[in-house]
Order: sequence, then C-alpha cells, then structure tokens
Amino acid sequence: MLRYTFKRIITFIPMMIAISLLAFIISINAPGDPVDRLVQSDQDGGANANTAGSNSEQKEKIRKELGLHLPIFYFTISDFATPNNLHTISNEDERENLKELIHKYGNWDQVQKYYESIKSTQVVYQDKTINELYSDGLALNKSDSNSIAETWNQIGMALTKMLEENDKDVTESNLSILEKSILKSNYFPHLKEGFSAIVQENLNLESTKTKWKTYIPSLHFYGIKNQYHQWLFGNGKDRGGILRGDFGKSYNDGQLIKNKIWDRIGISFALSLISILIAYLVSVPLGIYSAYKKDSPQDRTASVVLFILYSLPSFFVGTLLLFWFSNPDNLYWFPESGIQNPITWDENWKWYELQALKHRMPYLVLPLITYTYGSFAFLSRIMRIGMIEVVGQDYIRTARAKGLSEKVVILKHALRNSLLPIITVFAAVFPVSVGGSIIIEYIFTIPGMGLEIFNAIQNQDYPMIITFFTLAGFLTMVGYLVSDILYAVVDPRISYK
Amino acid sequence: MDIQKDNKEQFSFKTYAWKQFKSNKIALVSLYLLGLLVLIAICAPYIANDRPLYVKYKGEVLFPAFSGETAKYIINKGKENEETIIYDRFPWKQKKYEKVVWAPIAYSPNTMDEYNNDYVSPSGAQRYMSPDGKIVDAPRKFRHFLGTDKLGRDLASGLIHGTRTSLLIGIVAMGIASFIGILLGAFAGFFGDRGLKMPRIRYYATILGLFLGLFYGFGSRKYVVSDGFSKSTLNGFIEIMISLLIVVLVIWIVRLLSRLIKIKSLNKEVYVPVDIFVSRGIELLNSIPRLILIITVSAVVSEPSIMIIMVIIGLTSWTGIARFTRAELLRIRSLEYIQAAKSLGYSYSRTIFKHALPNALAPVFVSIAFGIASAILIESGLSFLGIGVPDDAVTWGSLLNLGKNYPEAWWLIIYPGIAIFLTITIYNMIAEASRDALDPRLKS
Repeated sequence: MLRYTFKRIITFIPMMIAISLLAFIISINAPGDPVDRLVQSDQDGGANANTAGSNSEQKEKIRKELGLHLPIFYFTISDFATPNNLHTISNEDERENLKELIHKYGNWDQVQKYYESIKSTQVVYQDKTINELYSDGLALNKSDSNSIAETWNQIGMALTKMLEENDKDVTESNLSILEKSILKSNYFPHLKEGFSAIVQENLNLESTKTKWKTYIPSLHFYGIKNQYHQWLFGNGKDRGGILRGDFGKSYNDGQLIKNKIWDRIGISFALSLISILIAYLVSVPLGIYSAYKKDSPQDRTASVVLFILYSLPSFFVGTLLLFWFSNPDNLYWFPESGIQNPITWDENWKWYELQALKHRMPYLVLPLITYTYGSFAFLSRIMRIGMIEVVGQDYIRTARAKGLSEKVVILKHALRNSLLPIITVFAAVFPVSVGGSIIIEYIFTIPGMGLEIFNAIQNQDYPMIITFFTLAGFLTMVGYLVSDILYAVVDPRISYK
Repeated sequence: MDIQKDNKEQFSFKTYAWKQFKSNKIALVSLYLLGLLVLIAICAPYIANDRPLYVKYKGEVLFPAFSGETAKYIINKGKENEETIIYDRFPWKQKKYEKVVWAPIAYSPNTMDEYNNDYVSPSGAQRYMSPDGKIVDAPRKFRHFLGTDKLGRDLASGLIHGTRTSLLIGIVAMGIASFIGILLGAFAGFFGDRGLKMPRIRYYATILGLFLGLFYGFGSRKYVVSDGFSKSTLNGFIEIMISLLIVVLVIWIVRLLSRLIKIKSLNKEVYVPVDIFVSRGIELLNSIPRLILIITVSAVVSEPSIMIIMVIIGLTSWTGIARFTRAELLRIRSLEYIQAAKSLGYSYSRTIFKHALPNALAPVFVSIAFGIASAILIESGLSFLGIGVPDDAVTWGSLLNLGKNYPEAWWLIIYPGIAIFLTITIYNMIAEASRDALDPRLKS
C-alpha cells in the first residue's frame, strides 16, 4: 500500500513538470508585449510621466523585473547561423525581423552589421530634434519648413520600418524614400554617412549569403538563468517563482495575482464542493434504488429524466432558471446576480456566521442547482450501471441463496463493491466543475475564480489565464492522485498488480 | 445441411447490430432527426434567405438565392428600362414582381431588419415596408416566426444557419480527434511496452530522425508555412502537409542510413515502450480540465475563428478515443488470428490496419458519437461566453447569450437552447443505442 502510494506520487512529479511546460509554452506564445501592457496598467494607475525617455527607461526596468532579458529556456534548438544572444534585443519586432534575416541569409555577422548600420543611423537621427537642427543651422532653408518637417518624419518612419521588416519590396521602397530625403535633398548632411553605410551593408547581405548554415541544427545551452527557471523558482530577489506561490502581476490592474486569486477562490471552491457533495448524496441512493428496481416503471422514468438532465447544457439551464425564478416579469423568488446585497450586507460578518449564511442562501440556490444537476445525472447513471454489474455476480447469488434478505444483500454485500467506480469518478467530476465554474459564475455574476478568468480573457490578461491553467492542472492532478490512492485503499487488489 | 449453411451465412455482426439498433425506437427516431439536421444544414441558404428563390421581374427570370452573395445582374440590357441589380444591396422585399417564390424564412442570418429591430417578439406586431413605401403590418411570409434580436436579425434564420456550424464542429473536431486517437491508441494497444522490437541503433535513429525531421519540416520552413497561412487557410494546410511529408521522409532516410552502422553492441534488439509514451500523453491531456485547456489556447490565438476552435477541440479530445482503441487492441492482439498473421510474417502495418483495427472500431464508434455531443456542447459553451468566436458569427450559443443579456426576449433563450439540447440529445441517444447494440454486455 505504502509502496503503491509512493510510486503514484513519483509519477505525479513529471506530470506536474509537463503541465508547467505546457503552461509556459502557451504563455510565451501569447500575443502582445507584456512590458507595454504593464506600463499601460501602471499609467492607468495614474502615477507616471509621459515623456518618451522615461517611458523607455521604465520599459527596460520592467523587462528586467519580468526577467524578459533572459533566454527563454535552459537550451534552444536552432540552426547554425543563429547566434545565442538574440534574446538580448529588447524590441520584439526587431528580434523577429533579425531571426527572419538570419534565416534568409544565414550570415549573422553581416546581418548584425546591417542591423547596426540602421540602428546607429537611427541613433544619430534621434539625437537631435528638428528644432535643434534649425538652431544648428544644418537645415538652411527655413522657408518651406513644412515639407522639411515631413521629410524628417518620413526618414524616422522608414528607419523604424527597416528595423522591423525585411520584405524585399518594403526594404527597397524604404531605401528609395531614404535616398530621396537624405541624398537628394541637402537638408540633413549628418545622416548621409549612415545612409551610405546602410546601402552598402544591404548589398553585402546578398553577396555574403551563407544559406547552408541554416540547414545545420545546433544546440545552445544557457544554464539556469532563463525565463522558465525564473518563472518556476524565482530569481532569489524580488520574484518568488510559482513554486512559492508568486504568479506575477495582472496586466489588467498591476495587482499581484496571488492576492487576486486568494480573494476569489473561496467562493468557487465552496460552490463546487457543496454541489459535488449534494450530487453524491442524491445520486448514490437513487442509483441503488434504480438498480434494485431494475426495469420497473420507476427505473425507466428515472433513466429518461437523468438522460435528459445529462444532455441539458448548463448554460441553458442557468439562463432558464434566471429567466423563470429571478425575473420581475415572471417569478421573483431569488436575486438575479452576485452573492450578497451591497446594502444590507454587513462588512463585519464572517462568511461562516449564521446570519451571513442566511443572507447569502437565496443568492446561492440557483447557481447550486445549475452546478449540481449535471454531475448528479452523470453520477446516478454510473452508480446504477455499477450496481447492476455487481448484482449480477456470483457472490450476490450466493448471498441470496443462503437466505439473506434482499435489503442485506443490496446494502451490505453489493453496495461496497458498487461504490468503487463512483470513487474514481470523483477525479473526473472535479475538473468538470472547475471548468463549469466559468460558465455558471458568468451567468449568475458570482465573484469567484470563474468570473475572474472570464474577465481576464476579455482583457487578454495572460498571466492570470496561465495561472488559472496551471492551478487547474495541479488541482486535477491532486484529484487523480487522491482518488487513485483511495481506490487502492478500498480495493487492495490494485496495489498488488 | 443446406439450411444450416444458409443460417451461418446470414448471421453477420453488422446485421445483428443493426437489428439491435433498430429495435430501439427512440434511437431510430434520433437517427432520422440527425438526417433531417444534415438536410437543413445543407439546404440552409435556400430555407432562410433574404433573396427570393425565384423571381420574374420586369419580364426577366432570376434565381437570386442560388447566385453568389455579391453577384450583379443587368436586366433589360440595352433597352430603356435598363436596371442594374447588385444582389446584396437590392431591396428585394420592397419591389413588385410579376411572379415570386420566397424562401420559407425570408431573412438571412445577418440581415438587420430596420423595421423590426430591438427585440420583436414572435407573436407581437411586426412591421414591414410595402413596395408603395408605406409601413404596414408584416404579411405572413415576411413575419419573423421566432422573433428578432436587438439589431433586427431574424432568429429562425440564425438557428437554421447555426445548424451548419454545429454539424461542422462534429465532423471537423471529431475527424481530427478520431484520426489521432485511433492511430495512437492502436499503436499503444497493439505493441504495448514489449511488442515493438528493433535494434538499438534503429531506435536511436528514429528519435534522431524525428528531431531532424521536425527541424527541416517545421523549423526551416516556418516562414514558408506562415506565408501559406497568410495567403489562405487551404494554402497553409497544404504547406503543413508538405512539412509532415518532409518529417516522415527524413525519419525514413535516417533509419535507412543507420543500417550502415555495424557495431555489435548497437545492433542488440531493444523494446520500444510505445504504450508508456501514449498513456503518459493521454494522462497529461486529461489532467487539465478540457474546457480550461481549450479556453486558454483559444485566448492565445490572435484571430478568433470558429475553424480554429474546431481544430483546438479536435486536438484536445482524442484521449477518450485513444483509450478505447487501446483497450480493444490489447484484447485483440492476443487472439489467435492475429498470432496467425504474425507467424505468417505479415508486416506490422498490415496486421494492425487490415486485420486488428477493423474489429476494434465498433466501440470506438460509440466514443466518437459521444465525443461529437461533447464537442458541440463545448463549442456552444464557448460561443455563449463569446470566447474565441468572432463577434459577428451567428451560432446557437451566441444567440442564447443575447437572450441571457436581455431576459425579456424569452425567444432568444428558449429556441437556441432547445436547438442545442436537441442536437446533443440526438447524438447521445445514437451513441447510447449503438453501444447497446454493439456490445450487449454493457447494456444498461
């Protein structure tokens, strides 16, 4: 028994690693730049200067905080042409563009030169504003200042585009724009040098092409200083890592996800546990009764009703219940949303106090019904089938043959064995109720995890979604673990297998 | 003697199962209803369409419902009453015709009826602008039989067209899931952990080949594939197929090359634990609640589309099918005729696909039918939440969500809900009945 438990726990660990990897893969593929999102949510908080300089500095700071300047994983598999320090380039578009350029030309040295030539021209460009140029006397002809300003902007745009795109036609049109505005107009002589360098390096790209390098796979190791490791274990300073319960910040409001979840998870957990409990309490006797009276009219009716319940989608049932029982036009028995009345609810009440429970009761009736009916139908059917199977076995016939009453046979001999499948099903019911919480909490506006996730998806708050994903996976795994061990306790044959 | 022989020939498992299935009246009715749904889905544009099916207008005969959305037609060309009809802008309902046949529901799912917007009830007053330009009570043929939503879109038409989505979900998602599930399940069940033996060098070569194949098929071609997808979905799929072909080819070449290496210790035969790989994969996918997995993945996909949802559902729901196939093949592989096939020296693929698998498909079929029901349930749940589905898509789930947000419009709750419920029930009924028919032991 102990050995079986131990073995089971050992297999639990690689599965958890696999889940964390899956979550991580999904999270790094989420669209949008996390830094931008966080800067935005900070600014929504209201305490930030808007100047471009401090903005980019702040971005760099957040990047460091999030560990985005680190390589993604312990190792990468790429081709021979790709260098191992691409992750140090902070702008995502530029990084992607470089990857594509490397893929196209296979010559990192030349690609780097090309990139640097554009980058340094951009630095020269950004060094001075157009007004400073006027005061320097570089742009002489002040009479058509409008067209000069426009040309100036065009140069900036073309440079940015060249950093981010490498399509042949786009590059060519950008180059011709630059040629027109730098070489042909004599306004900006300080950019001429940079421009000729760009043209030269662009030509060199084609001539020093080493495409063969991209066909050789290569492996880079980075060690433990990488994003995944930091996500799991933290960086030893400000970030704790998910293993210590630090899930990072929400994109939405910059709050710690840990706190947000802690506030919300109680109600969801309570709802699903209560509903599973009710489902078990009702379905076990019902299943026994149905099996006991097999093929009687009662059994048939119960089967049909259960079948219909089983096929009814929960969102339909929830909406219908709302429509019938908490609608001023129909029956207004229950309040339609939330779990408490903001006016009559006393902040000092603890959730377990009698008056608090009494206050919340009407709010929870409809959600609980919606939560329960599906798993209840599912469980009853399983219970009935299991019971019928057991009743058909030899030892039950023996029990009957030796003259035991039907009650003793069913409740004492058959029941125990027929409970086996329903125990394993616990692991299956639990994840369904976790997933179902999204729909039900959305319908009844219950401020639990499900609603929080729904909002996170609406706002593309990826850290929150990934956290939920990881937690749900973890809890389900624990559910499987517990039910497997329980199963082994109830049925010792399992552990000797 | 002759009679006996006849009897023997007449008994086949298929006819027996079909007979069993037919004896279940509810299941038979479900099957007919499914056929009806398929018919509705196929004919949807002719059952519910803005444009008339047949019209005689100014002496010319047109079939507007049967032409493309943006078709253009010039009537009485060259004569003085020449008129250009742009099909999707022409006010079909406000014209006088010599002869006209309307579709049973004279609205398309996305048409906004400006005279009947803001939740018009099925039984309430409905308005219509007659060809004379007067607003009158809607005549019977232009009534919204099941009411409208806020924008004046016809509910009945939305339901009819939604049939397509829900059936497509079943076909695409379960098609993908069955392909993966049957293949992996068959391998895992047939080989187990100690069924597939190969020289160690070939084993390593296969792993190396897989890695190289992925590198050349997908790593080197990632820009080609993404270009393909940006052109059209079909192009993208073709590119992916080419990539898969490259993967297979590379594995084959590497394995071929590995024969050249003749080191004794590397040529020792080892077992490939196929079952462990597959079972762990199933366990991993099962350990994440499916709805959450699908929601998370579809939240990451930048462009919402029903097609992507279908593919995601398919890629995540093969585990049940794989488990059934695996269990069946575990049983079948120890039967005598498979032993016979093995001892006759048939290749693995021939034994599996020609001899073992066909006998395993009956229970798998049941799990596919249940899978379709749950795929439809998941899709309608997602579109109810508005996750991963484009805003303008009209599906049963999204219609129901409109009703949730405006409970006074009871028709938006009841009808889509019943449509979803009926479809799911039909599939569940068929699945249940075929399980009983195919495997009497499980009869409940």
